[in-house]
Amino acid sequence: MASHGVPRVRGVENSAKSEHAKQKEQEKIAKYKTLNDTVKTRIADKQYTLDTFHHTSELLTENPEYYTIWNHRRTILLHLFQPIPHDDPSTESTSDSAPSPVPSPSVQHIHDLITTDLRFLIPLLQKFPKCYWIWNHRLWLLSQASLLLSTPTSIDIWREELGLVSKMLARDARNFHAWDYRRFVVSRHEQQTGKSLTEEEFAYTTKKVMGNLSNFSAWHYRSKLIPRLLDEREAGKEDRKRMLDAEFDFVNEALNTDPYDQSLWFYHQFLVSTLQPDASEKIATELSNRDRVARLEAEIEAIREIEDDTKDCKWLYQSLLKYSAILLDVEAAQKAVTNEDLSVWMLQLETLDPLRAGRWTDLKKRLNM
Amino acid sequence: MSLASGPGRGGSFIEHLPPELRLVIDKHVTYVQSLDTRKDELEYWLTEHLRLSGLYWGLTALHLLRRPDALPRDGILEYVISCLSDSGGFGAAPNHDPHILYTVSGVQILAMIDGFEELDRRVQDIANLQTDSGTFTGDEWGETDTRFLYGALNALSLLGRMDLVDVDKAVKHIQLCANFDGGYGTSPGAESHAGQIFTCVSALAIAGRLDLVDRDKLGEWLSERQLPNGGLNGRPEKQEDVCYSWWVLSSLATIGRLHWIDRDKLRDFILQCQDFELGGIADRPGDMVDVFHTVFGIAGLSLLAYSRSHESNALTHDMPTLAEVDPQ
Ligand SMILES: [Zn+2]
Repeated sequence: MASHGVPRVRGVENSAKSEHAKQKEQEKIAKYKTLNDTVKTRIADKQYTLDTFHHTSELLTENPEYYTIWNHRRTILLHLFQPIPHDDPSTESTSDSAPSPVPSPSVQHIHDLITTDLRFLIPLLQKFPKCYWIWNHRLWLLSQASLLLSTPTSIDIWREELGLVSKMLARDARNFHAWDYRRFVVSRHEQQTGKSLTEEEFAYTTKKVMGNLSNFSAWHYRSKLIPRLLDEREAGKEDRKRMLDAEFDFVNEALNTDPYDQSLWFYHQFLVSTLQPDASEKIATELSNRDRVARLEAEIEAIREIEDDTKDCKWLYQSLLKYSAILLDVEAAQKAVTNEDLSVWMLQLETLDPLRAGRWTDLKKRLNM
Repeated sequence: MSLASGPGRGGSFIEHLPPELRLVIDKHVTYVQSLDTRKDELEYWLTEHLRLSGLYWGLTALHLLRRPDALPRDGILEYVISCLSDSGGFGAAPNHDPHILYTVSGVQILAMIDGFEELDRRVQDIANLQTDSGTFTGDEWGETDTRFLYGALNALSLLGRMDLVDVDKAVKHIQLCANFDGGYGTSPGAESHAGQIFTCVSALAIAGRLDLVDRDKLGEWLSERQLPNGGLNGRPEKQEDVCYSWWVLSSLATIGRLHWIDRDKLRDFILQCQDFELGGIADRPGDMVDVFHTVFGIAGLSLLAYSRSHESNALTHDMPTLAEVDPQ
């Protein structure tokens, strides 16, 4: 479909495909079509067997975007999950003996089918990490595990997923499929065990942003975790204030290292947005207007310090103007920012960021400049 | 009638850009027409699972280029109907399973070629995909995503049957996907992403609930997607890509903030991504073209021309023949 980042080949090179290459391509097409026909015929005949299952594996390895085949695969699995008919004497004798913690053959059979299929998906995910259908099929397998296996067994399977998703995020720290999947696995794991993973996940985001400050996906997740973390810690007023201070320190230190990184600025904006009286997500509670003014003035001062030796970074001026507007809303009589400051910053911003000129014109109007 | 996407056949390189950037309309028309003649390429067969969307992309490009008849209506109608499944909904190709992604493409194509008679008895199937939480699944297997919610509302509004679903519930679900930066993700808790913002903002527009969008906050985030070379990316600190000329640009237009980016620079970036010899548009200059980036590049240009033609200093010289699209 959409090819991304594939270099274009010159017309001559492409049209001059050798006879041999053309021949090879025709053979590949014929093979693919035969495989496709085989699967279609077998599904039409309701041959939901292991053999047909293996044919879908072959086809999906070639083309994991072929969503209809994933549907067929699930249909086959649902049939294979059915209890094995009682014609095997060894099965009979096991089920006749006293109840034991050993899983019955059919449960073991389902367990094996699910874990084998989970393993089949790993190289596919590594090769096609952005393919929705593979992630989707994996989640379906896990939901089947919860449905059909014992709770401890299914918890083990879900737990292992966290390891897998960490590996996927180590390969590409911005893969949003993997992040969404991670949040889903965490919440299901929490539901099944009754134990919160918020502390572990918070620590994970710290690790990810320390590894790469530009990782906005991790900063975003952090913004979602903090309110939950504070609730679960039953944090009081002081604890909450300490958390807010610590987060400001954390991101300000990063901004001192790289003031050009917009991921950091968006997180900084998130922290500032929690100060506002009508904020939907809060970190510190019971803030007085004096607390707000003090914090805003401190942030404006911190940015001015970066500005002392960085004159060409538009984010500084953008943030100074944004936070000044909030400060003026909270305390019209503030003395930290003068009208002249605002004019100088606006001029700098217009010079450094002409792409968004229309936005700065609107901003000037809003600030009555 | 069917369409392959995939490898463009050769083309020009960035160092060979013509001195004056123009939209090579005839080349793009030929490119779209050629897509179905490539059955000797493996790629043609490997992309069958999105054929109906490919047809929608190609046909939309032709309509925007004011060449709607460049593909025969009869052939299109016959192909689209052959993708209808017995259980309801469209698959990507004959005998492929029905899914909301292809159902919306099928409905959109029929809307463009005025071919709705076939559909009246099928609309209930789309409505049935709504879940208790208000969002929509892609098909009977249950995967949910704001892409599917948008697809369902889009198809039902084209069919004039929004009464079949709980719009308020759908709107509530979209609000749960909103983030502090003004954007939206695939599901509650997910990171803002320009593609998901397009689906959520467009769904809210269809539902008549744009009052719920924080336009300034979202506009700020969207306008920061423009990079110094004029192109747009989909998330902070990512690379530019022509398809975001649609996801980001149309969202900016919907919330009335199109003037918050440099439209001339974006236009030049899209024009640079063309294959000037054989038609088609790629994600970035010098890359392989495909029908997906072709339609979203052309749609982006069309929106830019539309916005300019409504201002006194009209700068539409590069795209005088593009059809206007309605930004609402
Ligand atoms: Zn793209």
